[in-house]
Amino acid sequence: MTPGTLPALVDAAALASAVDPGALLATGGAVDGLRTAARVLVEGIGKGAVYFTIAVGLTLVFGLMGVLNFAHGAVAMVGAYLGGLVLVLVVGANTGTVATILVFFVALALVFAVTTAAGSAMEVTLIRPIYDRTPTYQILLTFGVSLVIEELARIVLTLRGIQPNPQWQAPMATTPDVLLGRTDLLGIGVRRLYLFEIAIGAVVAVAVWAFLTKTLYGLYIRAGSEDTEMVQALGVDVRQAFTVVFGVGTGLAAVGGVLLMWDPIWGPSVLLSVDVLLYAFVVVIIGGLGSFTGTLVAAGIVGVADSVTTWLFTTGIVAFPGLSEVTIFLLLVVMLIIRPQGLYGVEEVGGH
Amino acid sequence: MAISDSDSLSDEAAPLGEEAPVDETDPIPPSTATGGLREHLRDHAVHAAVIVGFLLYPLVYEALLATPAATLAEAFLPAVTFMIAVLYMGLFAMSFDFVSGYTGYLSFGHAAFYGTGAYFVVLAANGQVPGIPAGTPFMITLLLGAVLAGLLAIVIGSVSFRLTGVYFAMITLGFAQVIYELIRSWGYVSSNPTEGTTVSGDALAVGVPYIDALSLNLGRLTGESVENLLGLGIDLSATVVSYYALGIVVVVCYFAMQRIVHSPFGRVMVAIRENEERARAVGYPTYRFKLAAFAISGFFGAIAGGVFAAYSRSVAPDGTFYFLVTADALITTIIGGFGTLAGPVYGTLFTQGLEDVLSTESGGIATLLREGIPEGVYETDLFGVSLELFVNTAVDGRAPLYLGIIFVLFVLFVPNGILGTLRDRLGGTVGKRLPDHLRRYLR
Repeated sequence: MTPGTLPALVDAAALASAVDPGALLATGGAVDGLRTAARVLVEGIGKGAVYFTIAVGLTLVFGLMGVLNFAHGAVAMVGAYLGGLVLVLVVGANTGTVATILVFFVALALVFAVTTAAGSAMEVTLIRPIYDRTPTYQILLTFGVSLVIEELARIVLTLRGIQPNPQWQAPMATTPDVLLGRTDLLGIGVRRLYLFEIAIGAVVAVAVWAFLTKTLYGLYIRAGSEDTEMVQALGVDVRQAFTVVFGVGTGLAAVGGVLLMWDPIWGPSVLLSVDVLLYAFVVVIIGGLGSFTGTLVAAGIVGVADSVTTWLFTTGIVAFPGLSEVTIFLLLVVMLIIRPQGLYGVEEVGGH
Repeated sequence: MAISDSDSLSDEAAPLGEEAPVDETDPIPPSTATGGLREHLRDHAVHAAVIVGFLLYPLVYEALLATPAATLAEAFLPAVTFMIAVLYMGLFAMSFDFVSGYTGYLSFGHAAFYGTGAYFVVLAANGQVPGIPAGTPFMITLLLGAVLAGLLAIVIGSVSFRLTGVYFAMITLGFAQVIYELIRSWGYVSSNPTEGTTVSGDALAVGVPYIDALSLNLGRLTGESVENLLGLGIDLSATVVSYYALGIVVVVCYFAMQRIVHSPFGRVMVAIRENEERARAVGYPTYRFKLAAFAISGFFGAIAGGVFAAYSRSVAPDGTFYFLVTADALITTIIGGFGTLAGPVYGTLFTQGLEDVLSTESGGIATLLREGIPEGVYETDLFGVSLELFVNTAVDGRAPLYLGIIFVLFVLFVPNGILGTLRDRLGGTVGKRLPDHLRRYLR
């Protein structure tokens, strides 16, 4: 805890290198300009899909319970490692591409199941006793839990000799070749990994949308984000609903983590915890805490803004790589000034 | 409570929890109207005792290291370097608690002020701040940095205080992250801004500017040592001199904040925490009060950062502006007691003590285990993990883990923290209630 030894965020250079400046630099001509713009846009949507996946669980939990889960990032980090573990154990040198992607989905489902159970248990044992206190204490408690998870992860990683350096390269090496290069989509050359992430993001979005609109607990969440007290008054077993929703929210955090595992910008590392948390906060606050649509739209906005500024500030127009990360937090600040409840948020969310 | 106040009959019968704030509002409780001065002295007797404890600590620690219990003392008592961290981190946590604990607005971006103070002091010492020559006395740059942080707090606060609750916490975090990212990539600060920058010149001195006799040079490696203090035969190392010099700053800041908290201004802050709408209805312009409290808090937060920078002679964005620095203050405040000004210092004492006990640098538990356990047992494998490996990975330097667990337990079971709970038990501040309690037990 001594200042000066605090972990750094993901290296700005690594972030910048995600969009090859040389390849993207328009060499003149309106068509080239348009192509570059299209590519930056698609990559922005790719980033947005990732942001959506890591933020949606946070907004579900806040929508019903008014609990801002500070352990969200830590769970995503655990998800990245668990997903990586499954892939590293199963995927060998000659496992085919299709099989690898299948294993990825098996890992996704497994990790979701495990973390959902763990999240439910955490809600019952730790958070349930303090609902009657001010929301500050729920923030504090989940923050404490994230500290414990991070340190436990560090201990396990050192004990098993997994992580001599911050980046665990093993799961990244399992990425199938199909996802590594660029694909010539309408002549704009998009990284295939982004397309994969967009697909997963879409699947998660549809699944969560179905959960929200087709299941009873989804109904509770939608009603709860409007008026928790009324939901209680109507005789809903709120305690049980809280447990289920907190579990699902935690599980979704881990799904986000598994998705980040193959991404060269993120990759499994303990530092992922704080990183993911901050990004998730920005997205859910811009979208409006507790709003599914808001999270979807905000993730897109943040993704595109990130992609555009990363491109702008690394192509020599303004050489200031840190500025792209500044942009994201500036978006947060500007949004809170103009519209504190976010794009789609209702005021006084979560009954607090 | 307003009803029970006007109804004088029910005043005596009010439950303890409700009575305590009333007691604090009144500087001199009616029962001791004649003994007001005595009460005042009693209050400060506890302060004096704590200060004397801090004053004597390095000497006692040194003395203990010379006794047969040296190994145990080294393992379980924090070294002086950790006590210095208690001072500056304690001051920072106090400044955080000043606004968050007393007005109830959780400032998640408080590190912005700590970092401002720290960077201002270092840049000014290197002559990089326009208009401030390199030789300007440290105390002046410290105060200027603090004023700058206060102004920054007004700018951030004027926007942020339009929001409440979680949104306030998030917007302050947003501002701090913006500043953090800017400092991290601003080439003017140093050639490698991610790594931070260091003081290139002489040691920075705490003291009255232009009066050399009162100055004490800070810094563990470059500060001054005192030999044969006042002819008493006591030698003080550079570390210990820094400890005392920093201690002076912290004590002055503590009493300044304590005065504000106990003034009518501080009462309004508490009123805002308890019920802001009512405070506004009574006629207080709460927005201005919150803003002023935030600015004062930013001022003292920057002083904490400034003395830290002067002592360590280097600053890095991750150790000053980063979100986790605020988190440190938050943890120590909760453990020490949210809404009690002195609590954060005890919280920091606790966390730094834990850190010291669990680190090898200053001979903690890990060292004891390594030396105390027989070689054979120590190196035996159990499920592929030897005790040696376990000690190295799960004990040595693992303070955040145990701190996290303790923090969770505090949030669950001791929400008022060490000092807050003590006050609840005693039914008032320690200074006011302890003598009576002691008398009762000693009689």
